[in-house]
Amino acid sequence: MRYYVIRRLLQMIPVFLGIMFILFVLLELAPGGPQNMLMDPKMTPQQKAELAERYGVNKPFYEKFVNWIADAAVGNFGNSITHHKPVINVIRQFIGATFMLSSLALVIGVLIGIPCGVVSATKQYSRTDYALTIFSLVGVSIPAFFFGLLLLKVFAVDLKWFPLFGLRDPLLRKASEWKKFLDVAHHLVLPATVLGLSQAATFMRYTRSAMLEVIRQDYVRTAKAKGLRQKTVIYKHAFRNAMIPIITLLGFSIPGLISGALMTETVFSLPGLGKLSFEAVNQRNYPLILGINAILAIVTLLAALIADLLYAAADPRIKYD
Amino acid sequence: MKKLLAILLAALMLVSIVGFRPVQAEGDNILKVGGSGYDGIFNAILSSNIYDGYVCDLIFEPLIKLNEEGEFIPNLATWEVSEDHKTYTFTLKDGITFSDGSPMTAEDVEFTFRTMAAPEYNGPRGYAVSEMEGYNEFHEGETEEFSGIKVIDEKTISFTFVTAAVPNIANLNFGILSKEYYSYENWEEFEAKNDAPMGSGPMLLEEFMPKEHILLYTNESYWDAERIPKIDGILINEVSEDALLPALESGSIDIGQPQTKLENLQELEKMGTVTPITFLGNGYTFMCFECTTPPFNDKRVRQACLYALDRKEFIKAEYKSEDLASVGMAPISPVSWAFPEEGLNPYDFDLEKAGQLLDEAGWEMGNDGFRYKDGEKLAVKWLVYTESTWTQTLSSMAADTWKQVGIDLTIELMDFNTVAELTMDAPVEDKPNNFDIYTMGFSLDVDPDLKGALFDADAYSAGGFDASGYRNDKVQELIEKGRTTFDQEERKAIYAELATILNDEVATTIVAYRNELWAVNKRVVDMPINTYLKWTAYIHDCSIVNPED
Repeated sequence: MRYYVIRRLLQMIPVFLGIMFILFVLLELAPGGPQNMLMDPKMTPQQKAELAERYGVNKPFYEKFVNWIADAAVGNFGNSITHHKPVINVIRQFIGATFMLSSLALVIGVLIGIPCGVVSATKQYSRTDYALTIFSLVGVSIPAFFFGLLLLKVFAVDLKWFPLFGLRDPLLRKASEWKKFLDVAHHLVLPATVLGLSQAATFMRYTRSAMLEVIRQDYVRTAKAKGLRQKTVIYKHAFRNAMIPIITLLGFSIPGLISGALMTETVFSLPGLGKLSFEAVNQRNYPLILGINAILAIVTLLAALIADLLYAAADPRIKYD
Repeated sequence: MKKLLAILLAALMLVSIVGFRPVQAEGDNILKVGGSGYDGIFNAILSSNIYDGYVCDLIFEPLIKLNEEGEFIPNLATWEVSEDHKTYTFTLKDGITFSDGSPMTAEDVEFTFRTMAAPEYNGPRGYAVSEMEGYNEFHEGETEEFSGIKVIDEKTISFTFVTAAVPNIANLNFGILSKEYYSYENWEEFEAKNDAPMGSGPMLLEEFMPKEHILLYTNESYWDAERIPKIDGILINEVSEDALLPALESGSIDIGQPQTKLENLQELEKMGTVTPITFLGNGYTFMCFECTTPPFNDKRVRQACLYALDRKEFIKAEYKSEDLASVGMAPISPVSWAFPEEGLNPYDFDLEKAGQLLDEAGWEMGNDGFRYKDGEKLAVKWLVYTESTWTQTLSSMAADTWKQVGIDLTIELMDFNTVAELTMDAPVEDKPNNFDIYTMGFSLDVDPDLKGALFDADAYSAGGFDASGYRNDKVQELIEKGRTTFDQEERKAIYAELATILNDEVATTIVAYRNELWAVNKRVVDMPINTYLKWTAYIHDCSIVNPED
């Protein structure tokens, strides 16, 4: 087991380098440069060229790549061009809100999606099943910005239960920590609901189909025939075997915790990494694009490993050595 | 199942408790501004977008400022111009202090402008000092001396430009930094202070949360005791476009700039709690033809394209109201004193005339409905960026009407940065292949000077702003004459002549002048935002009257 983990971790290095290489190629192919976004109508071509030079835009491709890897190896991701600040500091400022929002949404997604999926599968073709299936279909297909605007209209504009924008009320800064916590929670209810319900829908669909498959297996029938309680059959015998695809899905959701949700963040005016990376691409803020994606790549690779390890926990037949 | 339901219900109740909790906000006397786009570069010489510029305007103060007519008037200093119009000598007012209490001297002014010229400077304002004497030597690091800037005594400083030009004065309109606070050993140290700006202005930065909010408190020890703001501070909230109108309606924000659209204006009028303000923005949208190769190397084809484009209809379609935008004719804002009153052709929609012009130019209608000349089809490529809607509206209208006169238009959609790369930034030899037409927006300075901008053939280079390739010696002469003539009446005549030529040649056409739309809550008084003075200019005078009072 330990060797397996170490081997996997070592394998990540070339994979990571490959990911970054592809990213560099894509950035190299993208036209434009960061100097365009700093455009002031009075700048001369020489001054623009000088800025491009300072940002190292014109250096040969391999040189940029090797330099970046060498710097990143010692934890230096360079300076974000539009922020005049180290990339790491910029990311640190944005990762908190994104993490809070996405983890809350993931919890909502799992807590609602999985039980609903199980219920929907065990009562296949019942009214509950149809209702839940329709709910999940709607949840998967409704665009986040539309659902978000709808919630804003109803709960923030008309009912005034929730704030319209932001993550906290800046004028509460002298209030107690508990009050501040409640304030943030208050601001996150709508966005987390939007993001969470769409994830719940996905989780539900996966769980339902996985459960349906397992429920028809002989050992489930055996368990039932033994006279075990319905609950024990479903949750102990069937659900555990249906967990493999759910774990895969969970593994894929982990990078989502930090990649941000552009639409939700935009509609609710939240300071998140989704918006940050979208802007970085539009502004050709190369160091920031690379920094965000490097972190995302690492988290994705680690999440894949964690999912693989969880398989073994869920299914004793899977062994790593 | 029952258990699950109970848990869900409990969760729902918890949520609603949190939900119903009334939000109490301290500080009714804080001006709340909503918007987005703040990058957090709060340094008067580094900020590179208008939003950060607002914050800089509140924290830093420049030597001069604009009045409502768009003329420069003294702010921190009065000035005199030398006889040859090359040297500006500024005398600082008495008693100016930075917010840390230290007095502002000519050395602080010198430090600010020297930093913009320093070799390590990486902001966008190099142009402000690059026309001063001795810039190159200093910028290249050959000498420690910047001969164009001279400190005469503690309160007096002079700036000398290489050539005398009217717009030079605008280069001196940047906030002054404290030398003591901002002096640096290495550049990172200077940049690091963007988060903790310090100037002489009426506001102090209290808290900045990126993409969330910016909180500023009034500088109670502001150097001019009579002009200390009456408000306690300013809270700038990040509010998405979608939430802006509801936020204005609910009073969560006092000031906002919704998109210039009739439905937004109408909605604001309906609210009753806010005052909508619209005025002509100091900028325009333009359409540039590639003039070095066929078909647009022929003036008649360019004119035909304009006649075959119904810009009045475009304004109706895009802005839904003729009061919010108008057809562009000259590269000068209609609010400027230099805008010619007559003699400009609006190119009213006229397909017949367009057809005639194309016939004259030798493009004959073929059997397939497209025009041909020497076996070559009249096909043009228009680069359209997708970040804003107007370019898409305009080009799709053209696709329809140009086809009727036999022009085969291909619209290529891309992002803004790519359009810039293919047009303005492309090397001169690549430009003709990259595009036939492209469209963009451009902001204007207060002065009508055109040097270095869209209409200056000398700016036809990789990275220059003129991508048309059109060159006319008379135009070049007038541009030069316009900026070096100091009598306003004479200048007016020069710009009228210039505008007439450009309006006839249409290498680059102004598509439309657009209005800005702002909304100010009625609890805020004395905030008459206009073309030249943004909300930040009224911070000394405005006050907040809460309805309960």
